[in-house]
Amino acid sequence: MLAERLTKRYGPATVVDDLSFTVRPGVVTGFLGPNGAGKSTSMRMLLGLTRPDSGTATIGGRAYRDLTYPLRHVGALLETSAPHRGMTAVGHLSWLARSNRIPRRRVDEVLDAVGLTGAARKRVGTFSLGMGQRLGLAAALLGDPPVLVLDEPVNGLDAEGIRWLRELLRAKAAEGRTVLVSSHLMAEMAQVADELIVISRGRLLAETSVSEFIGRHGRTFVRVRTPEPLRAAQELQAKGATSVRRAADGGLEVDGLPAGEVNRIAAAAGVPVEELSTHTGSLEETFLKLVDDGGDPTHV
Amino acid sequence: MSETLAAARAEFTKMRAVRATSVALLLFAAVSVFIAALGGWSAKGAIESDNPGLRSDFTPEQAGLDGILYGQLALIVFGVLMMSGEYTSGMMRVSLLAVPRRGRLYLAKTAVTAVAALAVALPVTVVSYLVTQLALGPHGSTFDADGVPRALAGAVVYLTLMSLLAVGVAAAARSAVLPLAVLLPLVLVGSQILSVIGATKEVARWFPDRAGAQMLTVDSGDALTGLLVLLAWTAAALTAGWLRHRSWDG
Ligand SMILES: Nc1ncnc2c1ncn2[C@@H]1O[C@H](COP(=O)(O)OP(=O)(O)OP(=O)(O)O)[C@@H](O)[C@H]1O
Ligand SMILES: [Mg+2]
Repeated sequence: MLAERLTKRYGPATVVDDLSFTVRPGVVTGFLGPNGAGKSTSMRMLLGLTRPDSGTATIGGRAYRDLTYPLRHVGALLETSAPHRGMTAVGHLSWLARSNRIPRRRVDEVLDAVGLTGAARKRVGTFSLGMGQRLGLAAALLGDPPVLVLDEPVNGLDAEGIRWLRELLRAKAAEGRTVLVSSHLMAEMAQVADELIVISRGRLLAETSVSEFIGRHGRTFVRVRTPEPLRAAQELQAKGATSVRRAADGGLEVDGLPAGEVNRIAAAAGVPVEELSTHTGSLEETFLKLVDDGGDPTHV
Repeated sequence: MSETLAAARAEFTKMRAVRATSVALLLFAAVSVFIAALGGWSAKGAIESDNPGLRSDFTPEQAGLDGILYGQLALIVFGVLMMSGEYTSGMMRVSLLAVPRRGRLYLAKTAVTAVAALAVALPVTVVSYLVTQLALGPHGSTFDADGVPRALAGAVVYLTLMSLLAVGVAAAARSAVLPLAVLLPLVLVGSQILSVIGATKEVARWFPDRAGAQMLTVDSGDALTGLLVLLAWTAAALTAGWLRHRSWDG
C-alpha cells in the first residue's frame, strides 16, 4: 500500500500535506498522530472516498476504485461509517456480502468472530458504541481481505475486545497480510505495531520501526538509588552527566552517561549505590516530544 | 457487467433490510387499495341516492385510478428513502467501499428502485382498479373497457417514473427532508391548486405530476405529451442527482 505525495486541502487549511509512505505486508503498521493530524483523511484517500488535491494512493499497484470486488482485497473500518440504523447486523453484512459476491456463510463467521452472534438480528440503531465498532470490524473482515485499513479500531471496545483485536491484528500480519491501524495514542500502538508512520499537521514526521523510533527519539537515562542523592548528583554532574533529576520516589535519573560510568563515578566518590538501571523513555513521551519539536523532518 | 449486477442485487437486499423502505412500499399498496375501495363504495352510495355531490365528470373507469393517486405519496417517500438512507450515519461511505465506482452504485440504486416500484405498482394498480369496480357493484365497469388498459399501463409507468424522480431529487439534495417537503405538498395539493387558478394553470400543466396524470386519464389525448414531459423531469432529476453523487467527496 503506497501513498505518494498525497495532499488534501479543506478551504484554506492543508489537512494532508505532501504525505508519502509505504505500508508493507507481514507486519502491523501503526498510523500515529495527534487529534486532527490528518490520519482519517489520509485513510479515506487510500480508500478512494476522499479525492486528493494531488498525489496518488494505491493498493497493490491499483487505486482502490479500480479494484474488482474491493471488499475481497481490502477490509476497512472508518470512524464515520455506520450502517443505516434501521438495519439488523445480519441485514447489513448480507448486502455487503452480496455486493462483492462473498459467500453468505462468511456473514455468520464474522459475526461469530467479533462476538455479535447474539445481537445479529438486532437493529443497528440500538447498538452501543462498542457493538457498532464490532460490527464495523465484522464488515472489514467479511471478504477475508489481504489488506486491513482500520481507523481507530479500539474506540469503544472494552478491555477484552481490545485484547482480542490486538491478537487478531498480529495474527493477520503473521499470515502475511498488510495491516494499517491508526491511533492517536502511542501507548496503544506500542502494544501492537511493528512499524510506525507518524504524522502531525498532515506531514510525515517519521516512518520507521517501533524499536528504531524509540532508539532514535527516545530518552535513555540511568536510574540510581542512593542514600546520598545530593552528593551523587554533584559528582555525576561534575563528571559529564548532562542532567540529573530527582524522580518522585527519591531516585535519580541521569542523562548523558552510560550505567557503567555512573557506577564507576559513584564508587570513586564513595557514594553507595542501592540500585542502578538503564531506562528508555516510553513511546508516549517519545511521540509527544517529536510532535512538540514541531515536526521538523530533519529530526528524523 | 457482473460487478454491476452484484451491486444491484446488493441494493435489493439493502432495500429489504431497511425497514422504512419496505414499510413505504406496503403503505403504497394499502393506501391505494383502501382509497380505491372507499371511492368506489361512496360513489355507489352517491349514484344510488342521486347525490349531486358526485363529480359531473365521474366515470367508473376513472374512479378506478383514484386510489393510486393517493398511494403515490408513499411511493414517492419510497424513492426518497431509497436514496436518502445513504446520507444518514455515514452509510454512503460503507456503500462506496463496497462499490467504489460512483456510476455503478448510482445505476444499481436507480435500477432497483425502478424495478421495485414497477413490480409493486403493476399489481396494485390492477387490484385498485378492480376493487373500485367491485365496490361500485352494478355501476362498476370492466377491466377491458375502452381506454382502460392503456390508462392502467400509463399509471404503472407514471408511478415508476415518479419514484425515480424522487430518487434523483433526494440524490441532488442529499437528504430526505427537503425532497419530501417539496414533492409531497406539490403532488398532494400544490399543482391541483395551481391548476385551477387561471394565472398558473398553464404553468401547472407542465409540472411532473400534472403532466404525468394525463397518462392515467382514460381517453386523454395528451397521454403521450404527459409521458414525455414526465420523462424529461425524471431525466433532469436523475441527472442532477448523478452530478451531485459523482462529486461526493468525504
Ligand atoms: N470534510 C471535511 N471538511 C473540512 N475539514 C475537514 C474535513 N475532514 C477533516 N477535516 C479537517 O481536517 C483535519 C484532519 O482531520 P482528520 O479527521 O483527518 O484527523 P485525525 O488525524 O483523524 O484526527 P483524530 O485523531 O481526531 O481522529 C481536521 O482539522 C479536520 O477538521
Ligand atoms: Mg480520525
